[in-house]
Amino acid sequence: MIYADPGVSFAEWRKAARGLLARGARPDEVIWSGGGQAALFRNDAADDAAQVEALRVPAEFLKLAEAVACYDGAERWSLLYSLLYRIAGGRRNLLEIESDEDVRSARLMEKAVNRDVHKFHAFVRFRKIEIEGEEVFAAWHEPQHFTVERAVPFFVRRFGDMRFSIFTPKLCSHWDLEELKFSPGVERVALADDTTEDFWLTYYRAIFNPFRLKVGAMKKEMPVRHWRTLPEARLITELIEDAGRV
Amino acid sequence: MELKTKLSVLADAAKYDASCASSGSKRERPKGGLGNTEGMGICHSYTPDGRCISLLKLLLTNVCIWDCSYCVNRRSSDVRRARFKPEEVVRLTIDFYKRNYIEGLFLSSGIIQNADYTMERLVLVAKKLREEENFGGYIHLKAVPGASEELLKQAGKYADRLSANIEMPVQKDLDKLAPEKTIGEIEDTMGTLKAGIDESRERVRKGAEPARGGDTFAGAGQSTQLVVGASRSSDSVILKKAEELYKKFKLRRVYYSAFSPAEFTSPDLSHTPTPPMREHRLYEADWLIRHYGFSASEITAQIADGNLDLTKDPKLAWALAHRQLFPVDVNRASRSLLLRVPGIGVRNVDRIVKIRRHHRIGLADLVRLKVSMNRAKWFVVTADHNPDVFKLDKTNLMTRFRRPAEQLSLFAPGPATVVMGEI
Repeated sequence: MIYADPGVSFAEWRKAARGLLARGARPDEVIWSGGGQAALFRNDAADDAAQVEALRVPAEFLKLAEAVACYDGAERWSLLYSLLYRIAGGRRNLLEIESDEDVRSARLMEKAVNRDVHKFHAFVRFRKIEIEGEEVFAAWHEPQHFTVERAVPFFVRRFGDMRFSIFTPKLCSHWDLEELKFSPGVERVALADDTTEDFWLTYYRAIFNPFRLKVGAMKKEMPVRHWRTLPEARLITELIEDAGRV
Repeated sequence: MELKTKLSVLADAAKYDASCASSGSKRERPKGGLGNTEGMGICHSYTPDGRCISLLKLLLTNVCIWDCSYCVNRRSSDVRRARFKPEEVVRLTIDFYKRNYIEGLFLSSGIIQNADYTMERLVLVAKKLREEENFGGYIHLKAVPGASEELLKQAGKYADRLSANIEMPVQKDLDKLAPEKTIGEIEDTMGTLKAGIDESRERVRKGAEPARGGDTFAGAGQSTQLVVGASRSSDSVILKKAEELYKKFKLRRVYYSAFSPAEFTSPDLSHTPTPPMREHRLYEADWLIRHYGFSASEITAQIADGNLDLTKDPKLAWALAHRQLFPVDVNRASRSLLLRVPGIGVRNVDRIVKIRRHHRIGLADLVRLKVSMNRAKWFVVTADHNPDVFKLDKTNLMTRFRRPAEQLSLFAPGPATVVMGEI
């Protein structure tokens, strides 16, 4: 058995996978880990990768693999290696067969990651705070996957003239009007109140139509696990109860 | 009146407009400004009615000189009235946008004095946002039917989307329920918008103006809304009108809003609430017209009383009435025929077409693609043995589909998402 541990890094996985492929390692001979338990495993694949020349794979595979790499689940690395092994072994068109089990699994992971990025863009809620007389916008968000680096450039494009920080358990990001910087994830952050939130809650309450209750549809698009970072979510129970009375 | 109270009254008054789309427009953040649109709409929140919040949806005022009997803001209604100052709407939009609550503003209004005066007030808010606040986010403005061409042109310059609501499919309904409105005037307004949009496209095509932002006229096009169930007009009449509007004015979307008679007293109005499923079936049928190659008359040909079957989706209803065209061989059928198979959506049709270049498609492929086999299995021939296809001609096939109506949803964006817009 060969052990490989790229952690959460796609670049590391790529390096390891090239080395393994060069030695002809079959997918069932490799045990992949990653996502925090690095110390538990040996890492055999780390050393012999450097001298292997770049392997040509379809661009579509790279695009897929970069997304799958952000999926929070250790099985992503072995799945990517299986796909790569089969593609390198001559099945250049493998990704066109969406009903293939590996392709299907990878596509579902990609979809979950893209959805997580989309929800990142949707559910970040900034609070305006003052630090030493400067206006700073700060948010606490809990992404499901490793999506911070994929999601945050969007906020730079949109809010480039605002200083902001987005804190998450996975990775934090900071925009100082010039450069986007990252710092390690944090467990929790307490942000000062922002009075605009009262107006937002007023709006949320008023735009809700109590004559058509569709709680399931709401939960499908705004999963309950996001509620604790959304200020308006604290109104949901009350609104549903009141709607029952109209 | 306190700003918070105004917000409450004028958001409450705005919620019957179903549109909340924020997609279809690309605009880079203005230099030194705030906000952009990247083409894909974002739903920032959802309320327990299953609808999304993408835009700050407000009326400038709910005071109205018109008396449309299906509208909560009609002159004779006794709702609480309020009126924003333009700068108040601007402030709320910017404050909400900076906190990432919204994609932008959807501003409508009751009719004050006349169409032009109302339109002028709406345009003023958009102008302040764009020119004074350097705002690059999404703006949807209501186009007031009968407003002057000059004002509509200005509106198009600032807004990403414009919408003139047709409300009813035929003049007869308007005469009864909205005596101040005429289909002719509303369509004239749509025509003016279309001309503005076409001209702007043409300038982009010729390279005279950049495709993103700048002076693009209503980059996200125009839409409209029909109130369903307030008058007696059937789904056939509604869908025929929708199809005509799509063709005539290249609308991006027609929205359908189920009428709920709870707070209304006019004797001309229907007094039974419109089933939400009726609205949902109309969206499905609309989807078939826009993405599946169906015509409105095909969808409505097999319905007896002119209304869509609430117990099954319109594609399944059509297929059951046209069993002579099935089964369809998934390994050989054309794309347009595959699109007509119940339970197979556009994306899966495209996947099937790709896969069959490499191997013959069996039932297991369809299952892994998450085709809705409950509906599809009766209608397809696969490379392997599909026992269910032999039941296609059984007269009792209909009974196989009698399941709770809620579960019949065919389309990727379900009933709620459809209302929310194009994501």
